Amino acid sequence: MSGPVLRIDLDDFAANLTVVRARVAPAQLMLVVKDDAYGHGIERVVRRAAAEGVRWFGAFDVREAIRARSAAGPEARIFSWLTVGRTEIAEALSADIDLGVGDAGFLEDIAAVAGGVGAVARVHLKIDTGLHRNGIRPEEWPEVLERSRTLEHEGVVRIVGVWSHIAEASDREDDDARALFEDAVTAAQAAGITLEVRHLSASAASFARPEFRYDLVRVGAFCYGVRSAGGPAEADLGIRPIAALNAPVTHVSEHAVTLGVGSLHGLPSSLAKRAALAPVEGRLSVEHVDLGHTEVAAWPHAAIGDEVTVFGAGGASATDLAEAIGTVGEEILVRVSPLVPRVYRGE
Amino acid sequence: MLRVGRGGQDGGRRAPVSLDGVTLGIPGRAAPGSATPGRTAPVARISRSALDLNLRAVLSSTRSALIDVRADAWGHGLAFVAAAALRSGAAGLIVDDGGAAELAGTLDPARVVLSGEATAPEAVYGLTAGFTPVLSLHGSVLSLKRLRRGEGVSYGYTHRAPRDTVVALVTGGYAQGVVRSLGNAASVMIAGERHPIIGRVAMDVCVVDVGADGGVSRGDEVVYFGGPGEASPVLSEWTDASGLTAGELVTTIGLRNDREYVA
Repeated sequence: MSGPVLRIDLDDFAANLTVVRARVAPAQLMLVVKDDAYGHGIERVVRRAAAEGVRWFGAFDVREAIRARSAAGPEARIFSWLTVGRTEIAEALSADIDLGVGDAGFLEDIAAVAGGVGAVARVHLKIDTGLHRNGIRPEEWPEVLERSRTLEHEGVVRIVGVWSHIAEASDREDDDARALFEDAVTAAQAAGITLEVRHLSASAASFARPEFRYDLVRVGAFCYGVRSAGGPAEADLGIRPIAALNAPVTHVSEHAVTLGVGSLHGLPSSLAKRAALAPVEGRLSVEHVDLGHTEVAAWPHAAIGDEVTVFGAGGASATDLAEAIGTVGEEILVRVSPLVPRVYRGE
Repeated sequence: MLRVGRGGQDGGRRAPVSLDGVTLGIPGRAAPGSATPGRTAPVARISRSALDLNLRAVLSSTRSALIDVRADAWGHGLAFVAAAALRSGAAGLIVDDGGAAELAGTLDPARVVLSGEATAPEAVYGLTAGFTPVLSLHGSVLSLKRLRRGEGVSYGYTHRAPRDTVVALVTGGYAQGVVRSLGNAASVMIAGERHPIIGRVAMDVCVVDVGADGGVSRGDEVVYFGGPGEASPVLSEWTDASGLTAGELVTTIGLRNDREYVA
């Protein structure tokens, strides 16, 4: 081996799922599988989670949702964050996907497509509680609810959920967001809508703040063993990284060891002089990251061909590296090149 | 704070008149641009003529040039770049293990090497001054939304609107190579105008302040960098904001997005 490999332990993944589900119960887990399950491989991740009894999966768009559907089987509920053109809506309906709707115009498109094919679209309406990305603004919410009821009566959509994202800027602001969410749920129920699920929180809030859990929590990072930047340690959360980026030692000198992984593999070059790896005992500073190689401080008995941990189980975590360059562990993970071979344990 | 249930009747909460000309989602009316089929995920557009131009310039001053095509030709597509390089007279190609396997049987093995000194790879891919950008990144406007003065945007509310405005939700986040450090630090081009990326870049989307004047619609193309014309954002703005090299930025983008080849 001359290049890196991403080793993924699906048994550790299953153990994280158990921890997350126990923590959020009686709320259910919606496992977030965006972006190839944060680079871990959506098919294998979804298959294992389904086997562990996870029933809800969250995908970013319809293409991913369809991949999740084929891996999870017909019983699972697959939620697609983002709905766009009518072609995708039709594909989503035929794959029995739940659709997130954060824009009144999308609701009309969905209704039109559903009416055309004789389907009833399951829709989760998104209230904007302050993040201001997608989501219906509170002042427009009553009008959208009214329209939703009309479309329900026409038999083309069924509003099954209300959801939102919180900013996690501060507990106080999140509390304000939750108050808006509560109002939106109350208004939906008052309008005669029967909600199956309410979902508001992601990894951090679902662990730390029980009142944010509602019926479903959308968790990706913690299931993959990635802690929040600036947040509690993996051990305190009871989770562990399920992936390790390993690379071979390709050169050894008195002061430095060269690893066969570089920026073309997705390791940020900005880690140089900022981050430390822990490929063996102790922390070793990253001296230089070039296209194909990384130089770190030497350690005793390093030998060419040794496989060492760049990040992940047995070394520094993705979030450790991320914090050194002002980002989040998720970015370190999803930057790992899709060309880096994935090797699975516990299939 | 805005409260549900009376906002619609509350004149004080209504959008200022200057914002009402903007096309936003309206209950009972299909979204503008909804006839557009297919997905709106970002696209990495790769220019054949730009690559040929750069190769000619590099090869004219170097004999026995070796072209670096590791990492799927820095995310530009191995088969595409390999063919262009050899056609332009390159002596050989520097490949990685995956590249060697992909090219096996299609090329003279003597022209494929696993190590060596690459000839000006940043120039070949148009990443240095004086050469033509080969890869450009394009997203699209998913939706538009009013933002009132003082309201925050995206995780952590790292941006708050200094005035009433309109923001666009745009496809492309850090999983597509729109690096997280670009939030509040870079701008994009929509319909010929530059607009800043505001707030934290999320995993699959980011938010752009398009101003209260209108002129941006759902479905509009968003140029992240590398587009034609003097006004288009350039990759050096991204290297400055992120501390990453141009090579690793385009490689991730080429590998993480749908690629489209143009003349």
